[in-house]
Amino acid sequence: MGFLENLRLSLSGILSNKMRSFLTMLGIIIGISAVITITTIGNSVSSTLSNTMNKLGGTNYIYLFLEAKYPEDDEAWETWEYPEITSDDTIKEETIDALAEYLGDDYKGVLLSEYGGSGITTNTKNLENYANVEVQGLNDGFCQYLSSAVTLLKGRWITDRDVREKRNVAIVSDTFVKNYFGDESINPIGQNIEVDMNGNMLNFVIVGVYEYSNAYFGKPDTSIPEKDRYTTLWTSVSYANSINPDSETQVEGYTELQINANDGVDMTTFQANVDLFFEDYYADNQNWHTYSYNTSSEMETINMALSIVTLAITIIAGISLIVGGVGVMNIMLVSITERTKEIGIRKALGAKKGSIKGQFITEAIMLCLIGGIIGILSGIINSIVIAQVAKYLLINYYPDEMSLISLTVEPNVLAIIISVIFSMLTGVFFGYYPANKASKMNPIDALRYE
Amino acid sequence: MSEIVIDMKDIIKKYYIGQPNELQILNGMNLQIFEGEFVSIVGESGSGKSTLMNIIGLLDKQTSGEYSLDGLDVKKIKDKQLSSIRNQKIGFVFQTFNLIPRTSAIKNVELPMLYAGIKRIDRNTRAKELLKMVGMSERMNHKSNELSGGQKQRVAIARAMANNPSIILADEPTGALDSKTGHMVMDIFHQLHEEQGKTIVLITHSQELAKETQRIVTISDGNIISDTGGVN
Repeated sequence: MGFLENLRLSLSGILSNKMRSFLTMLGIIIGISAVITITTIGNSVSSTLSNTMNKLGGTNYIYLFLEAKYPEDDEAWETWEYPEITSDDTIKEETIDALAEYLGDDYKGVLLSEYGGSGITTNTKNLENYANVEVQGLNDGFCQYLSSAVTLLKGRWITDRDVREKRNVAIVSDTFVKNYFGDESINPIGQNIEVDMNGNMLNFVIVGVYEYSNAYFGKPDTSIPEKDRYTTLWTSVSYANSINPDSETQVEGYTELQINANDGVDMTTFQANVDLFFEDYYADNQNWHTYSYNTSSEMETINMALSIVTLAITIIAGISLIVGGVGVMNIMLVSITERTKEIGIRKALGAKKGSIKGQFITEAIMLCLIGGIIGILSGIINSIVIAQVAKYLLINYYPDEMSLISLTVEPNVLAIIISVIFSMLTGVFFGYYPANKASKMNPIDALRYE
Repeated sequence: MSEIVIDMKDIIKKYYIGQPNELQILNGMNLQIFEGEFVSIVGESGSGKSTLMNIIGLLDKQTSGEYSLDGLDVKKIKDKQLSSIRNQKIGFVFQTFNLIPRTSAIKNVELPMLYAGIKRIDRNTRAKELLKMVGMSERMNHKSNELSGGQKQRVAIARAMANNPSIILADEPTGALDSKTGHMVMDIFHQLHEEQGKTIVLITHSQELAKETQRIVTISDGNIISDTGGVN
């Protein structure tokens, strides 16, 4: 008797007793469904976290800033004073060039930013129109990073040339355009503006307009009317440096930067290389050295914690699978006792041991497999429903971060494959004993069984 | 006369061997049945007639004695081969019908052919023919529990005929039926005997039914007490 015949026989056996079959499968369904739900949610949470991280600039950045060297012993603490920063202590363009050379192919660029102060600009053509700004200097690398979080509506970002030539370019917000020009239809690109920064009048040329994003800047203070609201004006980092009120102290260079690695670079090694470079660079400095951190190591920690939790819950769910398997065996045993007479009839009609064994094992495997498939489907449906509910709740609580919430449901393919194999093995394992028992029955004893 | 199909010598069957309640059902029985005979085995309840049938039908084994079926010594046959002999040479008809529950009439008839490894299409064609022969064509898709006693027995006879066996063993086939349907079933047996030349062994406690057959073997307490057919 062929495999197909066995399959047909066991399927008709399953279908001729639907309720019993369903109850048998229930344990497997719940077990597999739990495993799939848990692994899918675990997967989805970690991919959502990394999506969120990527939207905020990704994980291949090293944050580096100057830090005072603290005294090593208690005695020195007594007399220690926080050191004053000088131009000799900061990171210069040349330092960055040397770093780039040192890091070689792994290096993509640096992100530089410098606060330039705040001010007000009044429209000379219509004195009723004004806009408040916070001036922030950026380099091209920083703009590249920004472009994933902030949408540029018109014009361009800051270029390498802007930085090298200390250009007074400006990228302003859409709020700025509304306040300053009073008319959103005016093309602001190329317009000159004069910003009053504590009496210091500074000229800028608008080269771009960005869309104000609550997710990036935070929700604006609604107690301040929109026309008085401060929005960020981005200019070249070199220009910002030159207008910085602090630059009266004549500190040149940068005290913090983000170093961007190329895709696929191992961030742990990259960070170690950066640290090595700056350790060497600040070896002779009495007061300062650098401190670095990167989000990928944070991601790794989060992911590790998550996978431990997922694993633990999966093991617990796995136990329910074993319970389900024992359930299948019990029902198969009961079913064989109940069907003893049927086995006797089949034997009288010429069924061989192998046919009986084959029929019952196939039936157990089919039961477990069908249960497994239903379990996988219901697990995926569960995860989608849970993700939708979570998304709904998150959006309700954090409406501003809506664009960051991407609860992608990613079924764990490995978990699905393992579940299918496991449910088939459960069928074979827990089906064999009752099947073997059935096949060994003496035909007349089975026939006489009441 | 034609060939001996069933040849039994000194058949003894004991139950609970070695236990205090050891029971001897057949006390050294000698019986020969020839090809194409219609034999009835008659006896009271507990006389051993069913045990005899089970041994004839290879559902049970004798404790001692010789039994050859179609010249094959059953003691020397392995379990697997016993299954195919039951499948190919013997058709069973039981008092309680013994159809597979919750399964259609046609699927029941197909079952012996399934175990014989016959193709699905051929099985289906043959099963339809057989059901037509017993007058059950219209109900072939009914589940076994949806049929009346007489209908069940007719399906069972069709199933017994599935692999065209040479011997039909019927154990009280009319026992659970009223006399009218009982006669209908008996008519089918006569038809199979006369038209197809089947060897039929009918087990019954009814003298009336037995009289319809060619040869009556009467059993009492595990011994043959009379046999109307000549062994010689």
